[in-house]
Amino acid sequence: MIPIEYWLVFSSLLFVIGAYGVLTRRNAIVVLMCIEIMLNAANINLVMFSSYHSTLHTTVDSTGQVFALFSIAIAAAEVAVGLAIILSVYRRYQTVDVDKINILRW
Amino acid sequence: MKRDGVVKGFFLGLLALLFVLAVTDVSWPEGDMDPITNENVSWTMFGDSSSSGYAFVVLMIGLLLLVAILGGVFLAKEEKE
Repeated sequence: MIPIEYWLVFSSLLFVIGAYGVLTRRNAIVVLMCIEIMLNAANINLVMFSSYHSTLHTTVDSTGQVFALFSIAIAAAEVAVGLAIILSVYRRYQTVDVDKINILRW
Repeated sequence: MKRDGVVKGFFLGLLALLFVLAVTDVSWPEGDMDPITNENVSWTMFGDSSSSGYAFVVLMIGLLLLVAILGGVFLAKEEKE
């Protein structure tokens, strides 16, 4: 079995990769994908700690897994609305460059 | 602009290093990953004979997904000229 530290380092790196994409990329769709990567890092932590907790306390507690499933469902809802907004913005401005879309600034 | 990305990358690298150092610094108690089966997850999610589990939350999230899809369709539909 893989030790818990490996999972933690993996999810941390995944989170940092997502944050880098959000901060540096200008394409709104790529930014949305990077947000999903960050969310998946959090999901990995949920599943991992749930499993670890079960082992330490010798119980079968899968609440973390269930919470991860809820989180995935909410991420799906977020992507549906986010993509629709991006589509709408593209129709209006003919671009999905987040630097050029500054109408929401005010 | 490119220099800006390098600076952000540098600081995020520092953040990653901080995460890794924090994780490796902690002495985690001995314990492996427990093989939780799909059956356990289903019992927790939908409940069993003694409890209802998170069945109500599942219903609410289903409702949220439905509303999100309807909102997405509404936002993405083409406007008539």
